[in-house]
Amino acid sequence: MNGWLLASAVLIVGGLGPALYLTSRGPAVRRLVGLQLAGAITVLLMELLAQAYGQSQYLVVPLVLVVVSFAGTLVFTRLLRDRS
Amino acid sequence: MSSLVHVVGAVLAGLGVVVVVAAAIAAVWVREEYVRLHFLTPVTSLGAPLVGVGLGLVNGWTLTSATILGITLLLAITGPVLGSAIGRVTAQLDGVVEQESPE
Repeated sequence: MNGWLLASAVLIVGGLGPALYLTSRGPAVRRLVGLQLAGAITVLLMELLAQAYGQSQYLVVPLVLVVVSFAGTLVFTRLLRDRS
Repeated sequence: MSSLVHVVGAVLAGLGVVVVVAAAIAAVWVREEYVRLHFLTPVTSLGAPLVGVGLGLVNGWTLTSATILGITLLLAITGPVLGSAIGRVTAQLDGVVEQESPE
């Protein structure tokens, strides 16, 4: 256990936990906020995990996740708008 | 000197984690949807740069730091765009703005 793993654990519990709670209850827009929050926090979490394990090639994953979660969240905003 | 840079980098990354956790808890805490949207921005515009700069200091002048900088820039650019898009959907569903976006 090093400091980066500890920071990752704090980010999972304190960051992803509330984000997943937001995605699990309430109206669709509230869940979308939780989704965007979860995506951003996961990117930071993966950066910290790449540093914790000392493997810089793991950084490809958060790099792709930023772009994909951006497009995915915009798709959801489009779908929510058309549904009403 | 390098150990001081490492310590500063670790402190900055830790501050970034604290900011992100505080923003996430606050986003759950508030009751109004429009206020909740405000807590998305500290994650991408404050927490992510703090973590990115901290990791960059720890890793030094390497391709790893360049990758982390790229990720941080992408997060900082896409975060507010997504926040405004979600805000627009919320306003459209509330009937505050018109349903159809201008073509």
